Amino acid sequence: MDAQPQPMLEAEKGSSLGQDAWRRLRQNRAAVGGGGVLIVMLFLCVITPWMAPYSYEAQNLELGSVAPRQAHWLGTDQLGRDLLTRILYGGRVSFMVGFAATAVSLLIGVTYGALAGFLGGRTDSVMMRVVDILYTLPFTILVIILMVYLGRNLVLLFLAIGAVEWLTMARIVRGQVMSLRKKEFIEAAVVLGYSRRRILFRHLIPNSLGPIIVYCTLTIPQVMLLEAFLSFLGLGVQAPMSSWGLLIKEGVETMEDFPWLVVFPSIVLSLTLFSLNFLGDGLRDALDPRAGKD
Amino acid sequence: MKPIRIGILTVVSTAAFTGCLFREDRAAIGIREGVLHMGNGAEPQALDPHLVSGFTEHKILTSLFEGLATLDGTTLEPKPAAAESWTVSDDGKVYRFTIRENAKWSNGDPVTAHDYVYAWQRNLSPGLGSEYAYMLHCIWNAKVFNEGRLTDFGQVGARALDERTLEVTLENPTPYFPAMQIHFSFFPVHRANIERFGRIDERGTKWTQAGNMVSNGPFLLTKWWPNRIITVAKNPYYWDANAVRLKEINFYPIDNLQTEELTFRAGGLHVTDAVRKSRLPKFRATMPQYLRMHPFLGSYFYRFNCARAPFTDVRVRRAFAMSIDRELITKNLLHGAYEPTACFTPPNTAGYTCTASIPYDVAAAKRLLAEAGFPDGRGLPPVELLFNTSEEHKLIAEAVQQMWKKNLNASVTLVNQDWKVYLDALTNMDYYVARSSWIGDYYDPNSFLDCFLTGGGNNRTGFSDARYDELIGRAAKTPEQGERYRLFQEAERILLDQAPIAPIYLYRRVYLRVPELKGWDENLLGYVIYKNVYFETCGAK
Repeated sequence: MDAQPQPMLEAEKGSSLGQDAWRRLRQNRAAVGGGGVLIVMLFLCVITPWMAPYSYEAQNLELGSVAPRQAHWLGTDQLGRDLLTRILYGGRVSFMVGFAATAVSLLIGVTYGALAGFLGGRTDSVMMRVVDILYTLPFTILVIILMVYLGRNLVLLFLAIGAVEWLTMARIVRGQVMSLRKKEFIEAAVVLGYSRRRILFRHLIPNSLGPIIVYCTLTIPQVMLLEAFLSFLGLGVQAPMSSWGLLIKEGVETMEDFPWLVVFPSIVLSLTLFSLNFLGDGLRDALDPRAGKD
Repeated sequence: MKPIRIGILTVVSTAAFTGCLFREDRAAIGIREGVLHMGNGAEPQALDPHLVSGFTEHKILTSLFEGLATLDGTTLEPKPAAAESWTVSDDGKVYRFTIRENAKWSNGDPVTAHDYVYAWQRNLSPGLGSEYAYMLHCIWNAKVFNEGRLTDFGQVGARALDERTLEVTLENPTPYFPAMQIHFSFFPVHRANIERFGRIDERGTKWTQAGNMVSNGPFLLTKWWPNRIITVAKNPYYWDANAVRLKEINFYPIDNLQTEELTFRAGGLHVTDAVRKSRLPKFRATMPQYLRMHPFLGSYFYRFNCARAPFTDVRVRRAFAMSIDRELITKNLLHGAYEPTACFTPPNTAGYTCTASIPYDVAAAKRLLAEAGFPDGRGLPPVELLFNTSEEHKLIAEAVQQMWKKNLNASVTLVNQDWKVYLDALTNMDYYVARSSWIGDYYDPNSFLDCFLTGGGNNRTGFSDARYDELIGRAAKTPEQGERYRLFQEAERILLDQAPIAPIYLYRRVYLRVPELKGWDENLLGYVIYKNVYFETCGAK
């Protein structure tokens, strides 16, 4: 009897951390929704200069502030400028500040915190005392001094905010790394003779991603609001350019008379922050290497 | 124990509940009892008439102290106050005031000519460092004494001939000298009172605290809780106490206009300090009986730094000044709160109305700019527009920025700074264009025009014109009003031709006030004579 070729049992295919994460993320509806909203919002903000029928600075004093109507979908501000256009232009600034400053704080905070936690001992003590000292400096004044020193420049604004926002991130990452360092899989990695760098970047940091991402989603709104505050003091974005935080700040002043000036920017900002939070939540679950491979 | 507790609880809650339902609000009680509640903008720097500089303090001090003369609430003509009469010498340089026999301090002591001499000596003492000492510089030798170059006050032109006669010798004939007496820098202080708490030239002693202060005005200080309330009550020793109809005035330092408006609408105030301009259309439509608007002796304008390119060129300055559409700003942006102006001194300042002007003329502005070497704005360096942090200044600055861009193709960056930093920048002339305003210190065009004398402390533009200085100097020596005003006209024409400033609008006092409040004068100085103020209650005669 000719032996029929037996169908071989296929070996389970290995899937990378990234693939797993992507699969899990797609299953999370809130995260997908949040991501979708963010992508649409970003896309609109990016294409605005080529699409908007109005300029962000073109005034129409005769018109003044009018409620939403056909020519101005979201109404106009007190100088007769189209609010929709200003929100979209403001979004460019807010997104840039939010992402860039958070990226800076992420870069510094994660590296610093992970190193402190991993090296431990006296190095850790010294590094964390430095963080403590920086914490005691009045944060707003520090940013203002940096800005005054470095001049009025949007890029410097990102750096300045990012450079003072990394402290909490460093502490969180250090705590995570310290607790993970004692875990068996790290000991296993040490026994296997992996280099410190590999242990740090392949094992410790990926396993701390959860708290890092959650804190990032909290940092972005914080940074956006901080930018509004600095702009009000004359240090950030300068008129006629605007940002979401600034639009809301100005809108609040005339809330009783021109409610649309505060309502629409607030809706857009809240929507963005919600989306960021949902997405962050989803990413945290998705990226957790300890999650089961179901 | 228990039934008693329940009983108390019932009584208390019932009282509280019905109390809430039927309680009269603070304003209604005030109207019935003659207690005025007014919003006063901010916490005063101090209550020492020689150490303050603002309108906020002026409004409180006017109730506490009384100068030699006051003004008629409508015509702003000087009227006798602590002095019952005065005479002027023929050359207009020597004034002789006769103090009222029954003028008294709030502790019953008589007000004497010596008190005024003492107060002026105090204000001029170099050690006190009074910001407004320069108001007294019109008095003979006052300036040299103030600068410390003269130590004997006996040589200054203020002398008590006897208890009731005060003789004042001036540097120049100053026809507005009696009118200046409403300014707090001329107010008297009680010598024993000052010296009980410190030296004559000691700052910040405790004499201004409630209970310590002795004053000579229609009211006396009874309560001062910083950042909450200042209460003044009728002064029984005041010479005209019978005419004072209010029992008490409460000043509330509410610096947020929104809070102030809500307090007013909730019945917590009779008068507000100001209103937000964006609220005007709503007020006009829904509560016109409360909205008060009247002209105020102040100008809002932009300064050009005449020492910094491109504003070293008069043609550039004029071009910038001529391309601001003031009408559009006041009408549309500020909802008609203020009056656009093409000159610096407000019209009808003590009968003086400027005839020169800087017109709004874009075509001419473009021509001037081209003549200056910047046709169509080409080659024009980037310019910064400085203002102190405030929503309203920012709104106007944004509008002007756009006008300059559209009309002159000038690229202008907005810079806002905190008040003190901004003042520093102005004083050190570290700016290109800066928003500014000037409120008249006394009712005379000189209060405006002497700002721009070469090197003057309030010049701040680097503007210097020999002819201008000469005209203002000559006006100061001219006793005859018609001739003085002719000199002022010529001077202001030079000022506007040289355009170190771009006038924008004239201030108005815009505030809310309950209709029951009567005797509240609406004049250019915003000068309220509290003893004339009263409430008209319905049903009263």
